[in-house]
Amino acid sequence: MNKHIVDKLILRSYKDNYLDEKTVNKIASLLNKQDLKTYINGLKLEEMKKCLIVSSPVDNQNLDEFRKLFPNKKIVLKKDTSLMLGVRVIDNDIVHEFTLKSSFDKILNYIEHNYD
Amino acid sequence: MIDDNKIIEALEKKLMTFGGNAKTQNVGTVTKNTDGVIIATGLSRAFMGEKVVFQDGNAGMVLNLDEDSASIILLDEASKIKEGDTLKTTGETLSVEVSEELLGRVIDPLGNPLDARSRIKKGKKMPLEKIAPGVVQREPVSSPLKTGIKTIDAMFPIGRGQRELIIGDRQTGKTAIVIDTIINQKFNKKPVICIYVAVGQKRSTIAQVIDRLSSENALSYSIVVSASASDQASLQYLAPYAGCAIAEYFLEKGKDVLVVFDDLTKHAWAYRQISLVLRRPAGREAYPGDVFYLHSRLLERSVKLNKENGGGSITALPIIETQANDISAYIPTNVISITDGQIYLQTDLFNAGIRPAVNVGQSVSRVGSAAQTPTIKSVSGKLKLELAQYSSLAAFAQFGSELDAATQKQLDRGRRLTEILKQPQFTPLTEDLEVLSIYAVTSGLMDDVPIENFQRFEKEMHEFAKKNYQKVLEELSTGEKPTEQTLKQISKLVGEFKKRFE
Repeated sequence: MNKHIVDKLILRSYKDNYLDEKTVNKIASLLNKQDLKTYINGLKLEEMKKCLIVSSPVDNQNLDEFRKLFPNKKIVLKKDTSLMLGVRVIDNDIVHEFTLKSSFDKILNYIEHNYD
Repeated sequence: MIDDNKIIEALEKKLMTFGGNAKTQNVGTVTKNTDGVIIATGLSRAFMGEKVVFQDGNAGMVLNLDEDSASIILLDEASKIKEGDTLKTTGETLSVEVSEELLGRVIDPLGNPLDARSRIKKGKKMPLEKIAPGVVQREPVSSPLKTGIKTIDAMFPIGRGQRELIIGDRQTGKTAIVIDTIINQKFNKKPVICIYVAVGQKRSTIAQVIDRLSSENALSYSIVVSASASDQASLQYLAPYAGCAIAEYFLEKGKDVLVVFDDLTKHAWAYRQISLVLRRPAGREAYPGDVFYLHSRLLERSVKLNKENGGGSITALPIIETQANDISAYIPTNVISITDGQIYLQTDLFNAGIRPAVNVGQSVSRVGSAAQTPTIKSVSGKLKLELAQYSSLAAFAQFGSELDAATQKQLDRGRRLTEILKQPQFTPLTEDLEVLSIYAVTSGLMDDVPIENFQRFEKEMHEFAKKNYQKVLEELSTGEKPTEQTLKQISKLVGEFKKRFE
């Protein structure tokens, strides 16, 4: 099946910005194994585009600001204590780092590259 | 030694930026790993040629950007990378760190030492891919780059900033010529830094070259960039560009650099392999459509800069290996058309004992004569013509028909010229000795010396001249056209030596 057709099917699988289980099951039943794999991968990528992952070292991270900034995205909070302080925001394939860990990494990298 | 306070100061500055500007990264996920090429999704902001880093620290370079995936060539081992691994862009193109410390070292195309010696201190980052200097920054080739090989210096002179192709079948002495040229640079008043780029060669061959350079004390002003046959195709593809990037570092300092690409045939093979794995459309001989640009953008970086831009130069000696003397194949014709001339080596000549086995009729140097010194120009003027005439006459002479006296004389002179141009490997000559040898034959001073004794006669004559006629040799090394007086002195020298020669 043409990749463009699979892309169209992926778009049709959404209703009001959410996956429609009925449509998905119907489409899946009509596809062969290879096309189903492409369809699932496409759905995963589409889900990633619609989702914003906020990683924070604390449980009670306030997400209101993110909801305002990304009104059309599903916001998911993930706890990650290794970040030490701050937040990491993953928007599809773009990662925004506002964490202490990232600052330490930057310093480490700077030292490695500038001092022998 | 770095001051402790400076380190802490730098760290404090870094800490000040905490919270100020966020670090934004573009990430992707590996979907496929085939033959050293990775297909990854994500990476929406990646650009062509960008360096990417995998989660395990391996590096790669983006070579294809498709609608929803990117193809990346790996610069390290491919076996560890699996589907689902993450990678991120770096915002940088590939570069090599260069400093004077690289002199005398053997490195890989990414600047990592391969010679089991001390770690190389970080230097200036030089990009592997760079647009060649424009016409405004350049000036015509004007100073010679001596190879120390009589045939080349007399008939196909190479200038600083020139691109001279060395082409021939396997085992015809292509590498020997470039090694001799590198060795000969130690006799230069203005030093030339030599970079030997080995692409797709056996490690044993590379080790032999390094050993030879080392034993001739030529490694101190040389750098060897090695991407052997057992290295990834990606490293073989990058090696010539790394050599060029290193050369550009010294060029910026106004120095003269010689870069040898040994050889570009294997470089084209490596690029063909990468392109086929990347599923780029295959063209003639299965090479991709941009194989001409692959070599033209590399060789265009050899340059002679004008005084305002430092006056440095990069001379390129690319090597091409032909199959069955076919110089009309795809890659040879491409590189012939890019370069400023070629030295064509032939198996027949090599087997006939004519070494270096240069085919005079098909070799040419398009810009080098402008760089030839008046000294050697004055003695080598008719050399090429006489040798070409000899080659054509020699073919007729084989029929055994009777020849007139003039033809006989021409044939005899041709044989003598051919004999004097023979030169053993690793014995480059200084210009004064080259001129002495060539003048001795072209002026007929050696007409009564038996041809079978030519090699010994020449060697012993050089020793004799060094001992007894030092002043004549000094005059011949000035680069000026020899005076009548000097020529008379040479005649006297040869005459005197002939009496002693047994």
